Amino acid sequence: MDVEYNERVKGRKYRCRDCGESFEGVGKHPVCPSCQSDAVDAV
Amino acid sequence: MFAPLDDGYLVIEAPSSFLAVGRALRQLPLCIETSGGEVVQGLCPDDLVVASAPGGGPLMPALMLIELVRRYGQPLVVLPKGHPGSRRLSVVVSAGPAIRVACGIQRGTHPEQDLLCGSDAFAGLRLSGVPGGIELSGAPPGLEIRSLPALPADP
Repeated sequence: MDVEYNERVKGRKYRCRDCGESFEGVGKHPVCPSCQSDAVDAV
Repeated sequence: MFAPLDDGYLVIEAPSSFLAVGRALRQLPLCIETSGGEVVQGLCPDDLVVASAPGGGPLMPALMLIELVRRYGQPLVVLPKGHPGSRRLSVVVSAGPAIRVACGIQRGTHPEQDLLCGSDAFAGLRLSGVPGGIELSGAPPGLEIRSLPALPADP
């Protein structure tokens, strides 16, 4: 079986309300990679 | 099929390969590093961290890989397709709410965390994290499952 998959994962841009970090997140529960807060906003 | 799982591991074994399964146990960011940049996947306590040894071998590296992700928050580094380092990887890992095992992908080269490289013996197996354990579907016949306690914390 061969499986096709994308080499590039497309995420959404987020900004953390607690530390200001901007990051590209995937999945239903974005978490800040710097302070681990889930208080993030899509930008 | 439901299999209970706390903070330890489930080991799903075929004759010459295995999967080791742990729960994330906490909310954490999983950083996925690719040649195109970084994406961050948020993990929840019931999400799974699954290590696969498609060619078999010792169990400890798989358990350590699970802990590097869930306990120490180490990022995952994804190799480009065709990278020669792919064949050096004896154990690979994926993390997320549901993971499907596929045998037609190159080890360590796919950033999407719902897909994990495994041997033919696990083809079609899907693992989902649920409260208190994992749900297995599409399991081929002949797999054996056993439970192990969590590795101790730092001495």
